Amino acid sequence: MIDFVNYFINGALVGLLYALIAMGFVVIYRASKVFNFAQGELVVFGGFIVWWMVASLGLPLSIGIPLAFVAAALFGLLVERVFFSRLAGESVFAMVMVTIGLLILIRGLILVLFGPQVRSFPIIFPLQPVIIGEILIPRSLLIGGAITVIVGFGLSWFFNRTRAGLRMTAVAEDHQVALSMGISVKRSIAFAWILGAVLSTLGAIIFLSGKSLNFLASDIGLAALPVALLAGFEAIAGVLLAGLIVGIIQGLVTAYLDPIVGGAIGTVFPFIIMLLILFIRPTGMFGWKTIERV
Amino acid sequence: MDPAGVFATSFERDQALIRTRGQWVALVLFLIALVVLPHVLGPRLVAISTNMLIMAVVVVGLQINMGYAGQINLGQAAFMGVGAYATGALAIKFNLPFWLSIPLGGCAAAVFGFIFGLSAVRIKGFYLALTTIAAQSLFHFLILNLPQSWFGGSNGLTLEPAQIFGFSFVSETSIYYLCLAATAAMVLGAYGIVRSRHGRAFVAVCDDDVASGLMGINVVRTKATAFLIGAFYAGIGGALWAYYVRFVAVDQFTLFHSIWFIAMVIVGGLGSITGALVGVFVIKAIQESFVTLGPSIVAEFPSLGGDVVFALMNVFLGGIIAAFLIFEPRGLMHRWNILKRSYRLWPFPY
Repeated sequence: MIDFVNYFINGALVGLLYALIAMGFVVIYRASKVFNFAQGELVVFGGFIVWWMVASLGLPLSIGIPLAFVAAALFGLLVERVFFSRLAGESVFAMVMVTIGLLILIRGLILVLFGPQVRSFPIIFPLQPVIIGEILIPRSLLIGGAITVIVGFGLSWFFNRTRAGLRMTAVAEDHQVALSMGISVKRSIAFAWILGAVLSTLGAIIFLSGKSLNFLASDIGLAALPVALLAGFEAIAGVLLAGLIVGIIQGLVTAYLDPIVGGAIGTVFPFIIMLLILFIRPTGMFGWKTIERV
Repeated sequence: MDPAGVFATSFERDQALIRTRGQWVALVLFLIALVVLPHVLGPRLVAISTNMLIMAVVVVGLQINMGYAGQINLGQAAFMGVGAYATGALAIKFNLPFWLSIPLGGCAAAVFGFIFGLSAVRIKGFYLALTTIAAQSLFHFLILNLPQSWFGGSNGLTLEPAQIFGFSFVSETSIYYLCLAATAAMVLGAYGIVRSRHGRAFVAVCDDDVASGLMGINVVRTKATAFLIGAFYAGIGGALWAYYVRFVAVDQFTLFHSIWFIAMVIVGGLGSITGALVGVFVIKAIQESFVTLGPSIVAEFPSLGGDVVFALMNVFLGGIIAAFLIFEPRGLMHRWNILKRSYRLWPFPY
């Protein structure tokens, strides 16, 4: 029984981590209508910026991490300036394909700048787990989960209640319409990428704290995909619930089904969930019902 | 457009792929060049050419699926892998000859692709692309977790060389000719498909699926057919790969390979079979020249280190993909057509 509770809680916290990464997808989608295939690469890039600031340059955490966020924001802005500002008003297809190009490009950039070696990521959150009775909880995931919940509700408020957020929501509805209403699509996309890069860096800090880092860590981007899909690409707070659901299911499946099937079902199960969602309810739990059906 | 003085006087002439004597000459010269190529070039270049031929089959399939029918497919490498594994298993378990196991491998991939194409019943656009990502990870999971006696699990499959009438395709040159024959047949088939009623239905569905539905095209069936054909091509490519490398493993068919295939289609030009071939050639040539020139660049600038050159290739190619989408979304083939047109019209502007 205590095992079950352990798996349950850890699954939920891992799910919240997925939710944070998935928020990167959702934020970029919610402000620019672009599905960002390079999300995992953004996370790794953010991770490397933090590693570079803290471990390589030797800055203290209190200076290094804010600086890393600023650097990530600048990187997001750069991506928008170089690639997406030229595509504003063009088809969404082209923009999404550009993110596929970005995936290759950022991966190459990471290898050029930081090399393929495995680096040890600085320990941002204390390593010793929180122990309640017989339940063992990794501290970084616990703190990360709390941050995720706060960020999730904050962003949800921003996009649904403030004027600036609603403007971006209009961009996500339709670029042409937003343009004709006098909304700057370019500025919205720029903000989307800045926010996406900063969120990815935050995700990297929580995901990687005290672990090893190399360019292969970008797989988490794909692992977070089912979460974004279950919530619906427009729902920011919904990502939290979807993350919990996917994380708990994955945790339990890994614990109880893996020995039967012979391993790795935990990593593939989110994709099975994803296929089911796509077949049963493509808009996700909280997405706008705008998906055209054939 | 045709050069001046070429008039189609019958429907057959209007539909013909090769319209002028010059084009016949060019085609024959090109084919002769392909045939004599292994006798002229060194073994390494022949190996690269064989690689290009195999990829050409896969990318032509992706072109039909993505360029003509407009269905983004991020699982082409998985479909290729299914073809390779099916062929490998058939050849090892049932001792099927290669001329039987290669088409069967293609069929296995086609079935796998068709299942994912069927999701077009419910969803479209990028959501459909996401199901193909799921195909990629399901493929890995299935290969690694199905009983090891079926597909070798994480050990991979090791094949005997392809054999016919006691002759076995072991040497680089012989396998090149095998791939050349298969690729030529598949590319010819692709030209046929895209100008048949199925090909025209693909283009119609790509342009506007509501309008094409109103015109009486079965939209779902068309999309599923596109996946079926695209995956069949991928499967044939994978089967050839299996006989070429004679070792099949999961990490030869990752999501990253799928992304490279998409890059080839984009650079060559969406919606053109010739474009797919051009894209394969250009991207593969750039990759290989980076690999070849890499050591000498490192020797020149030792501070760079060997990994950097490979990484720079990724930066360069990622940049190329983005640049093509921004500046020339219709790819190299479109540029070529513009050039040809202005040459034919010269000295008049139109």
